[in-house]
Amino acid sequence: MTATLAAPATIVVGKSLDRGSAAALLAALDRELRGKPQRLVLDLGEVASFDSAGLSTVVEGMRRAREQGIEVRLRGLSQPMLDFFSLVSIDRLAGKPPEPPERPSFVLRVGEFVEPKVDGLLGVLKTATDVLYALFVLPFKGQRLRFDRIAMEIDHCAGGALPIILLIAFLMGLILAMQAWVQLRIFGCEIYVADMVGVSVVSEIGPLMTAIALAARSGSSNAAQLGSMVVGEEIDALKQMGIRPESFLVVPKVVACAVSAVMLTGIFDIVGICGGALFAWGVADIEWLAFTAQLKQALHFADFAFATGKSLTFGAIIGTVGCSLGLRVQGGSEGVGRATTNAVVLGIFLIIVIDAVFVTVQRLLLA
Amino acid sequence: MTAMQPISGAKNAAILQPQARRKTDDLMRAVALTSVFGDRTILQGVDLAIRRGEVFVVMGPSGCGKTTLLRHLCGLLPPTLGAVTVDGQDIYRASQDQLQALRRRTGLSFQGGALLGSLTVLENVMLPLTENTDLPRRVIEATARMKLEMVGLLHAAHLLPSSLSGGMKKRAAIARAIALDPEIVFFDEPSAGLDPITAAEVDNLICKLNKVFGITMVVVTHDLPSAYEIADRIVVLQGGRVAALGPRDDVWNSPDPRIRDFIERRMNESSGRGMDVATMMEI
Repeated sequence: MTATLAAPATIVVGKSLDRGSAAALLAALDRELRGKPQRLVLDLGEVASFDSAGLSTVVEGMRRAREQGIEVRLRGLSQPMLDFFSLVSIDRLAGKPPEPPERPSFVLRVGEFVEPKVDGLLGVLKTATDVLYALFVLPFKGQRLRFDRIAMEIDHCAGGALPIILLIAFLMGLILAMQAWVQLRIFGCEIYVADMVGVSVVSEIGPLMTAIALAARSGSSNAAQLGSMVVGEEIDALKQMGIRPESFLVVPKVVACAVSAVMLTGIFDIVGICGGALFAWGVADIEWLAFTAQLKQALHFADFAFATGKSLTFGAIIGTVGCSLGLRVQGGSEGVGRATTNAVVLGIFLIIVIDAVFVTVQRLLLA
Repeated sequence: MTAMQPISGAKNAAILQPQARRKTDDLMRAVALTSVFGDRTILQGVDLAIRRGEVFVVMGPSGCGKTTLLRHLCGLLPPTLGAVTVDGQDIYRASQDQLQALRRRTGLSFQGGALLGSLTVLENVMLPLTENTDLPRRVIEATARMKLEMVGLLHAAHLLPSSLSGGMKKRAAIARAIALDPEIVFFDEPSAGLDPITAAEVDNLICKLNKVFGITMVVVTHDLPSAYEIADRIVVLQGGRVAALGPRDDVWNSPDPRIRDFIERRMNESSGRGMDVATMMEI
């Protein structure tokens, strides 16, 4: 390998021009190009075997040279190499590679960050109005509700979540009773363990924990199911057949989520209080009858009414968010993954926000 | 730009890949392949050999087991009975490492492309190179760009697969399948769902890659013109069995009525559709 001013710089490539020798050739090319010769000759006459990585290295060298205004000539191309190059255009390959899209400006990036969030929320609102329309208007226009599908969805949603709800409820009741007892014992009023467990489970922990469990189980699965249906063009097929995906798929899921949330919350309340009572009876020495009498004093009908309304709203939100994000999936399997995650995150976020609203209204009304 | 020369494929392949020499020695063999799913038998005792450097076409009506055979051959699905050998080595008895090494010698172009949706077209083609070689990144990118140029997709290098058309996806999948200079490339329905011109382009690409690189091609298709265009040898499957196997012209001119029906696209009249109503008509 020599580089003089008179003669063009020459690189003689060895017998093999393949994966094994690509790195060395690339280094040699870079070295020669740094000397800024006017012309560079690549002598390929000795090459006996080559592969596409080797020839790509040659093309990469030509691209580099062209960038610096250096002329490159190939010498001793064999017929197989010519055949290989007949499949491609070196001009295109050695031309400037299209720049990967530039980093967008700050404003655009903020927009890119905010827009999907706003779109997601608007989509949820749109789905919610579609569901309300399908639930309360369409039945009067002769389109009946699909009770068979609703029943099937309830079975999926509530039936599947029951074991985990039972376990969480029992343990939560036990834990609440234990925490309350440790504090109340100091003041000698252990009997208020019943108030503590009853009120917190019925008005807060029950609806909230059930809703979070449902968001994790059903919200995500709804988003994933509808998302893969979008990717597989099944939603388009339904629309094309004149079937509204909102009525056919979304309404049953939303109704099922709402009904399941109410039912599961009821079960959560009973099992949770039983867990608390078991602790009170077994550890805190509070008689069963004393516990129930105290509970009756602590709980009012309004608590149950508000809790039920809360669960119903939570369930409907979980269903709507999951379905809405699922129906708006873009970009294949990655989009499905994103929709599934967002269904849980947005679902839980909205639940907490709505919970705060409910508590405020409840306190204002009962004050 | 050199014009495409009339090439004698075998000679060039010899220099390109010393091991790819003649179209006479067997590269792959399937021995008594039987495949059962539940109570359905898909393949029953399929025996065939694929020769080095040939374009081997698997044909047959829908549901005859073409795709299952392909999955057995390329090492994705172990058969219920029987063996698949590459260079005499049983791929389903090989260790994980040996199987990985064998897979690197093969490429598969899936029916729908199966490109990774989160990566650009260029990154999809670079993926097997970055994962399986220790080449410098610039060489990997140059190689991937070269493969994309071969399939005519260089202009789409930075697009995501979701914004490609069906034909472009298929071509990108071919570029990815040949990224590692494989010895064998499997194609699952390369022309399905493509317009005739794009399908012809894909056929042409398969032939060129076969001639220039000496790559052995195993093509599953039910597209008759395309099969005739590209095949060196053909196997016709029917009901999970080999109905015909041999050089293209022998199969095409086979006197076997089942093969004739398939090749001449005659409908199967024994289904009795529309016939029995005649017997019930009162005149």
